[in-house]
Amino acid sequence: MLMESRGTPPDVASAAVGEGAVAIQDLSVRFGSTQVLKGISAQIARGKVTALIGPTGCGKTTLLRALNRLHDQRPGFHLDGSILLEGSNIYARGTDVRDLRRRMGMLFQRPNPFPQSIAENVSLGARIHGLWARGEVKARTEGLLRDVGLWEAVRDRLGGTPFMLSGGQQQLLCMARALAVEPEVLLLDEPTSSLDPHSTGRIEELVASFRGSKTVVFVTHNLQQAARCADEVLFMMAGEAIEQSPVRAFFDHPGDERSRAYLEGRTA
Amino acid sequence: MRSTLRRGRDLVFWGLCLLALAIVIVPSLAIIASLLQQSAPALNAHLLTATTASNGLQNAILGSGLLMVGILVVAGPVGIAGGIYLAEFASPTRGGILRLGYETLAGVPSIVIGFVGYIVLDQEFHWGFSLLAAILALSAIVLPYVVKTTEVALMQVPATLRDAAIALGLPRVTILRRALLPPAIPGIASGLVVALAIAVGETAPLLYTVGFTDQNPTLTLFQHPIGYLTYVVYLNATLPTQLEHEVAGAAGLVILAMILVLIGVGRLVGRRAVRYAAQLPT
Amino acid sequence: MRFLGNARGAGGDAGPTVVPPRRRLADADLTGRDRAVRGALLAAALVPTLMLLFLAAEMIREAIPAFVYSGTNFFTGQIFTFGNLYITKETVHHGVLAPHGASYGALPFIFGTLASSLIALLIAVPAAVGAVLALTERVPAGLQSSLSIFLELLAGIPSVVYGFWGILVFGPLLAKHVFPILTELGSVIPIFRGGVGGGEGLLTASLILAVMIIPIIAATTRELIRTVPILAKEGALALGMTQYETAKVVTIPYVRRGILAAAILGWARALGETMAVLMISGNLLNGFPVNIYSPFSTLAATIVAMLDSALTDATGMAIHALAAIGVVLLVITVATNLIGRLVIRRVSGGAVLPVGRGI
Repeated sequence: MLMESRGTPPDVASAAVGEGAVAIQDLSVRFGSTQVLKGISAQIARGKVTALIGPTGCGKTTLLRALNRLHDQRPGFHLDGSILLEGSNIYARGTDVRDLRRRMGMLFQRPNPFPQSIAENVSLGARIHGLWARGEVKARTEGLLRDVGLWEAVRDRLGGTPFMLSGGQQQLLCMARALAVEPEVLLLDEPTSSLDPHSTGRIEELVASFRGSKTVVFVTHNLQQAARCADEVLFMMAGEAIEQSPVRAFFDHPGDERSRAYLEGRTA
Repeated sequence: MRSTLRRGRDLVFWGLCLLALAIVIVPSLAIIASLLQQSAPALNAHLLTATTASNGLQNAILGSGLLMVGILVVAGPVGIAGGIYLAEFASPTRGGILRLGYETLAGVPSIVIGFVGYIVLDQEFHWGFSLLAAILALSAIVLPYVVKTTEVALMQVPATLRDAAIALGLPRVTILRRALLPPAIPGIASGLVVALAIAVGETAPLLYTVGFTDQNPTLTLFQHPIGYLTYVVYLNATLPTQLEHEVAGAAGLVILAMILVLIGVGRLVGRRAVRYAAQLPT
Repeated sequence: MRFLGNARGAGGDAGPTVVPPRRRLADADLTGRDRAVRGALLAAALVPTLMLLFLAAEMIREAIPAFVYSGTNFFTGQIFTFGNLYITKETVHHGVLAPHGASYGALPFIFGTLASSLIALLIAVPAAVGAVLALTERVPAGLQSSLSIFLELLAGIPSVVYGFWGILVFGPLLAKHVFPILTELGSVIPIFRGGVGGGEGLLTASLILAVMIIPIIAATTRELIRTVPILAKEGALALGMTQYETAKVVTIPYVRRGILAAAILGWARALGETMAVLMISGNLLNGFPVNIYSPFSTLAATIVAMLDSALTDATGMAIHALAAIGVVLLVITVATNLIGRLVIRRVSGGAVLPVGRGI
């Protein structure tokens, strides 16, 4: 698995865009006796941007974190159903969890750079996963920083601390860090919720540029943002998946009464 | 009428509270004053150049310093490693047991540790008065503190940083080294420094494990007593003459200065611990 | 397919399984190097617990002959003597050999330990709580941190320095100026009756112990008072309550059980305190203090005071007797500590409170 992906772009191109890259099947999650997700089934389309939306506390973030197995550490975590990434269950026994997490890149609500230099932040994961040869670290770090549009701002202080950067720049650095390990799927957990409008725009541009090459799952509480960035919408409420539709269809003709109520600002 | 009564009660209550505050402040000042007053005639370079044989403190200062180095070497690594395990690896059950263990050890009177150290290490193992026995006894006293501060320092690293490192699929050792330890280091260092302050003020664990000598300390681990400051205070305060009290006071002053400097440094370093969280944008 | 947070528990479709709470990651993602490092760290984490078990086991093993020799006399007897160590005549009791005339009655030490620590607690709790209330509620914020330094100072002063102060300054001062007044009061309050002596004794030691444990109680109380919601206090003040009434109705009820826990921890410290008590107790060996000013001794102080001469006992029984004293001390302090930690765990909900020796 690891060897195949080394140095080559993710195999999205070889498979058809639009088919299911991630299949969520009857997924239920509870912590102790608290049921958080209830029988969710959904297909995350390959090479497209799927927005997870719904009222606060509906389980969007729980679902997103389940895709990266970030709940494994939580007390009382219990999961039923399955999540298939390219056909294989990520919760199956014997799953290489670290490689799974490499394939599922993640960006968080607030930027969280490592307490390492700016360059280290970008290259650390790629080097640990054996993706970059020693000689190419410098060039590929630069490439990624250029990709996210941070190069000009940091080229003179690659060895310096990331904490001197603005919040938006830190989030872009975290994006470069996530991209460095060549994930097939990018999980974005309200990545712009703490950013200024300019940085938000930059992140949205980046997300748009991934279309066709990366599968993106995007949690947002901002309906305009979902409308701007997403191809598909998965609408959730109280731990259930209510509706999954193409973005235009969802906003123009929501298929479920509860979706309509939510979009119109009525309490369902 | 009624409001006068209530105001009166208020005054009396806070008057008593301020009196209580005075009970805290006065003894600390009185103790420092008495140390200064008792030791005043002896406070000169002679203290540093002569050993306790001729009413100096050189051997005792060196001995206390040596014991602190020993603790850094023994309790430091063990305590930090134990704290890391508890914060990052232990299951709740196992963590609960180990925490109960070190918290209970922290409550064991120091004389019990000194007594067992003497009986087992000095006697049964035939180490005699031994630097190593003393270091081990003192380590038993400060280990819980080092473990606890390490654990707390790691717990206080923002959860989002741990998430980011996990989500990247990094191995646990790398997560620790690159993401969690750097922001925790000030807290850990602060705990270690304060642990030294605790150790340097101890007497009971040392009395019978390391003995006492007027000679300057050597690095001999076994069959060799060491002089140290707290013993000078203990012994000389209970001796009858003024000159001895002067030396006791001077020794007390030196220990107190060392402890206060260590605690101060510890607090200063500890203050850096909150920086990482503050640097993350909100 | 069913997955459990604990990977080892993954067991097909066997119906709902109780998942043990597990805070850390499942082991699935550990590399070989991770496992090796974890093993090394575990070894280190075991050290304090192993030390504790070793201390307890050694102490008990060492003490058994003395318990056998003394029987219940250990807990009820008032005479503690190693016997005549200079003649070779020996006594056999319950099949155990000891020097002629040896008697190991530890009741006076148990009494002294409990009495001095309880008197200390009686003084320290109100003083610590009052000082913290004054500090957090009344003193201007600018002065607060500089006054808090005194609490840290008290916590940092080593026990021998307290002893030094007690024997050279505080004890004589009390004997000359304070105790004579107290003994006059004895006509009203019986406990203060009696000759005042030279200042080395139960009350002096208790007062010093009180000062020594104030920082422990104060530090915990302060952390707890910080958790009292400001809104609750403001609510009371808005009702027109005085600050005293606010403290009485809101603040103190909020932290009451925490103060109890802090008091127990302070008590544990006072029970085990050695050097300061040794220096100012006057070291009474056989029998109880005749009044509150008179010399006495504690379990901890006795171990230090008598270990030297115990070494000269060829039968080794004297060491066993001191170990027996140590076991009693260990049991009392460990039990007190555990109770204190239990209470604190209930009230603080995992808040970080001081551990061990009070700094």
